[in-house]
Amino acid sequence: MAKKRIKLIDICYYRSGDKGDISNIGLMAKTEKAYEIIKREVTPERIKSHFKGWVKGDVIIYPMDNLQSLEIMLYKALGGGATKTLRIDQTGKAMGNALVKMEIEVDESDL
Amino acid sequence: MKKVRVGSGSSGWPDFKDGALDVAQNGDIDYISFDHLAELTMAILQSQYAKDQMRGYIPEVIPLMRGLLPIWKEKDKHFKMCNNGGGANPPECANQVLKIAQELELGGFKIGVITGDTIPLSRVDELRKQGWKFKNADTGEEDIGTVRDRLLAAYAYTGADEIIEAYEQGADLVIGGRLSDNSLYCGNFMHPLGWKFSDEYWDRIGSAVCVGHLLECSSWSAGTCSNLWEEIDYPKGNPGFPIAEMDENGDCIISKTETSGGAIRVQTLKEHLVYEVHDPENYLMPDGICDLTQIKLEQVGKDAVKISRYGDKPRGKPRPENLKFCLAYNDGFIAEEITIVCGPKVFQQAEKAHEFVKRRLDYLGLKPREMLWSLIGWDSLCGPTVGSPPPDYDPPELGIRIAFKCDTEAEARACRTECGHLCWASLGVGAGFTQPPRIRPVFALWPTLIPREAVPLELEIKETK
Repeated sequence: MAKKRIKLIDICYYRSGDKGDISNIGLMAKTEKAYEIIKREVTPERIKSHFKGWVKGDVIIYPMDNLQSLEIMLYKALGGGATKTLRIDQTGKAMGNALVKMEIEVDESDL
Repeated sequence: MKKVRVGSGSSGWPDFKDGALDVAQNGDIDYISFDHLAELTMAILQSQYAKDQMRGYIPEVIPLMRGLLPIWKEKDKHFKMCNNGGGANPPECANQVLKIAQELELGGFKIGVITGDTIPLSRVDELRKQGWKFKNADTGEEDIGTVRDRLLAAYAYTGADEIIEAYEQGADLVIGGRLSDNSLYCGNFMHPLGWKFSDEYWDRIGSAVCVGHLLECSSWSAGTCSNLWEEIDYPKGNPGFPIAEMDENGDCIISKTETSGGAIRVQTLKEHLVYEVHDPENYLMPDGICDLTQIKLEQVGKDAVKISRYGDKPRGKPRPENLKFCLAYNDGFIAEEITIVCGPKVFQQAEKAHEFVKRRLDYLGLKPREMLWSLIGWDSLCGPTVGSPPPDYDPPELGIRIAFKCDTEAEARACRTECGHLCWASLGVGAGFTQPPRIRPVFALWPTLIPREAVPLELEIKETK
């Protein structure tokens, strides 16, 4: 089967926010097939490695079948949280943009 | 079937005022709610109130009400309003709104004023003595002891009980302090539909919590901040705010006025349903716990989406026993500065300046607690996920942002001036300077829980003559 490298942005919409030092990313699949792909390929380990040190705590992923979306929580991920962080993006609004640059490998037939 | 139309009026401080006026004028609403507070706002308002007892509320409430009350009069005083703009001083906020009502000769205009969500630090100490530890909900730290000496303010996120009671007593407008954003809406569904905090109603209250979440960020559910931004338009420059028509079964249609821009689509609502909710099966709010995995969205019109039940499970569960409680404490000062590098060789210039700043901090013996170096135009938003710039990439300009956190304001100022501002010295010719923002004190938040019974709220009805 021919494999293809794609970015999450090719198959997902996204929006992110915060609660304290927790970054919260909603990853919305654009199609049913895309939802199956992200449920399988987007794992806590891969997310943590993608953020290269910006996420210091655990990553928890909640699937939402009704919205074909993943609710992703990144702990200790915002440099201390909105009021304490030195980052310009105090509330992690661009964390979703950062996530969807992540590459995954899929079978071409899955797309 | 009984239905109620509830409009969104504000999502923070500030928001588009014309959004609320449009909803009131053209939305055929029965109720409208205004959230004015972000997580930190109460700490700022409490410090204002401590200095001047005429302040401590959200000043924007006044011009907003000046715009709304004439519409309210024109609509035969039909719709009811609810806000949390009282902040740390709901009574004074109410007094100021009453003055406007008096000027407009709105006889018998009633405001329900809710107080008691601000908890004195002495009361926090009493509760600690009784064994309540205030465990940090984010970090898991067991006891508030480590920051007790630096505490500034404490406030509980309260529910819809007193809002409903105020309406029962005839209030046209309810002004509260740290009323939870979500409860401002739950109260507006529960009061007219007669829903109580009991087993028969948790499914419907779950729906109210979900829809409250969709309304509380105003235009964010109606096409702003959307993945669909390229196809969403604002022909007159006025983003629409969402309006929910909820029926007695807890099903609902979200729409907006035809006079506003933006869009209500399944996607624009989905974006908000996944926004800041954390565990979607347990979206905890003071009035109920919503299971957001049991919510179904369907496009039923150009700007109309139906919200109903997705599965067999109830959409809601009984409300939590405890309330969310936030303690704000001092955690030093942040200073920042932006310098803009003009090309060519912007990345090489920035790298040289980075080295210069590190050496200069050493040379002057300055030791900021934290320092962040970021490049606007490269990694300031997405951090290390962007990697290194390709060797042949040389944009015409690049922003250097340097931020320092120090224990004292003087140290923060020294770092910024001596190292942040003067970093231009190591750059090539043509650097652009900016006016740095004020050095800001860090109000850190300690999120925790408090028993409901430890937050006795009071309701007072004020009325124009």
